Amino acid sequence: MIKFDNVGFRYETGPEILSDISFELAAGSYHFLTGPSGAGKTSLMSLMYLGHRPTRGSLHMFEHNVGFLPRERLFEIRQKIGIVFQDFRLMNHLTAFDNVALPLRILKRPEKEIRNNVTELLDWVGLGESKDRLPPTLSGGQQQRIAIARAIIARPRLLLADEPTGNLDDTIGFRLMGLFDQLNKMGTTIVIATHNTHIMELFGHPRLILAHGRLTQETRQGPITQKIRNVS
Amino acid sequence: MSVKRPPFYVKAQEILLRTVLGSKGYDLPFGSDADRGYLLLLVGLMSFLAVLACAGTLSLHAMTQRWSSGLENKITIEIKAEDRDGTMLSPETIRLETEKITEMLQKNPAVKSFEALQEKEIKKLVSPWLGEDFSLEDIPLPGLIAVELNVSSPEALEKLTGSIKKLSPTARVDTHREWLQDILRFTGTLQWIALFVALIVALTTVTAISSGVKSRMAVHKDQVEILHLIGASDKYIARQFQWHAIIIALLGSILGTAAGLGMATFILLLSGQSGTSLIPQISLDSTSMLIFIFLPVIASIISGVTARFTVLRTLSLMP
Ligand SMILES: Nc1ncnc2c1ncn2[C@@H]1O[C@H](COP(=O)(O)OP(=O)(O)OP(=O)(O)O)[C@@H](O)[C@H]1O
Ligand SMILES: [Mg+2]
Repeated sequence: MIKFDNVGFRYETGPEILSDISFELAAGSYHFLTGPSGAGKTSLMSLMYLGHRPTRGSLHMFEHNVGFLPRERLFEIRQKIGIVFQDFRLMNHLTAFDNVALPLRILKRPEKEIRNNVTELLDWVGLGESKDRLPPTLSGGQQQRIAIARAIIARPRLLLADEPTGNLDDTIGFRLMGLFDQLNKMGTTIVIATHNTHIMELFGHPRLILAHGRLTQETRQGPITQKIRNVS
Repeated sequence: MSVKRPPFYVKAQEILLRTVLGSKGYDLPFGSDADRGYLLLLVGLMSFLAVLACAGTLSLHAMTQRWSSGLENKITIEIKAEDRDGTMLSPETIRLETEKITEMLQKNPAVKSFEALQEKEIKKLVSPWLGEDFSLEDIPLPGLIAVELNVSSPEALEKLTGSIKKLSPTARVDTHREWLQDILRFTGTLQWIALFVALIVALTTVTAISSGVKSRMAVHKDQVEILHLIGASDKYIARQFQWHAIIIALLGSILGTAAGLGMATFILLLSGQSGTSLIPQISLDSTSMLIFIFLPVIASIISGVTARFTVLRTLSLMP
């Protein structure tokens, strides 16, 4: 589903931030992406959601070589991806409801279906009361939940979440991580960038570790996850 | 703190956008754009100009049509008051020649009707130049005969002119064609100018819409990028700008057209009141009205296409 082959990346004429990145993620997999701040997690994600193109090497997304994909076809791939941006990137003039509805509207789903699904999801993430409010009037954690809802509302085949629980308390954080697990079970491939070792330990998915522009893979399953899974 | 109520066109725009794009209105924050008032005004003024240009052309057209059809089969015969050497003829001679010619006209089958102008009438015609009280004895006046023909073929006219010349060598046959041609040439030029004005109006609208769209794309660069990243195609984004432009143009143009029609009616009313018989009574008929109803539609289409094209082109130049 995702295949990096000796990918290198730099912003304009800046230094190379990612070097010789090679890895492959199978459909239906679930990975944590971690590494120190400034290591390039967000940059790596932006290559996956086609926000930037690799400066060298080849990147395949959904069996398409991104390097050769014409601009006007990028949206087809992006429509299969749900993204939670580290800085949310909500539309500040649209209500919480309309922000979450946006991906469905882009897909031209019927308005009735949109109303039902969006309302249900907003209720689920605890924003049912705030659905008519504009993002700037909401707290960081509330905005983050809108961002997450927007990323998953259209049932993407790939979910890329950049620090999705950074602003959330543990209760709602775990609840959302549980939701991601549910999505994963239904077939969504997931990559979550996070610093949160606690969460990584708890859920124990394999890790992609970025440091000094290079990526290493760690396939260990955390023991705590096993415990939780056994308990529940 | 008092909340400023949005101007009426903002409300109208929002309602229209909601109708077109569904309950959500639009995804980009056009509502906060400062330039839409100007754009509305500009499209309004352009429509206003277009209406005036159109109304001018249409009434000129109606006018020339009436003139040319009214003069088609008419000629005027002038029996000159002096002979070829420049010697003045006595009024008596002129009257005689006029009578000879009218006798001939009476028998000519090509002539439908004719009327020799009486001295009194001729006097009235020249009085603006000569004053009321002069006698024919002082200045000999030409004889004038207005003739209406059954046919207007050049051959028939030539034959008639020949028979007139035989009776009075100095008589002149005036077919009005010359000055009619001058007038037609003049109004033709005016119509070209009107067309040119319409073209400039359209071009100005295109330029303004296009640069407006470009600046709006720059202002909303971040939002456009978000839309892209969450899967919107260039066409989806273009549609937003396109409908926004269409609705601004529609509103602006309806206002401008209404104002232009009001102005045109006013001008026509004034020209009608002046009572000059040279300018026939002109009014706008129902076909012309249809054209004006279509003007806002045309303005909307021009604006929409321009906006769409501009967005797609600008986006296609992005990486
Ligand atoms: N738009 C940009 N232009 C130029 N340099 C950038 C840009 N975005 C990030 N960088 C640089 O790229 C490097 C990696 O940044 P990135 O945001 O990918 O790190 P990160 O791992 O996501 O960090 P964090 O954990 O703090 O989110 C940093 O050195 C940063 O300065
Ligand atoms: Mg980051």
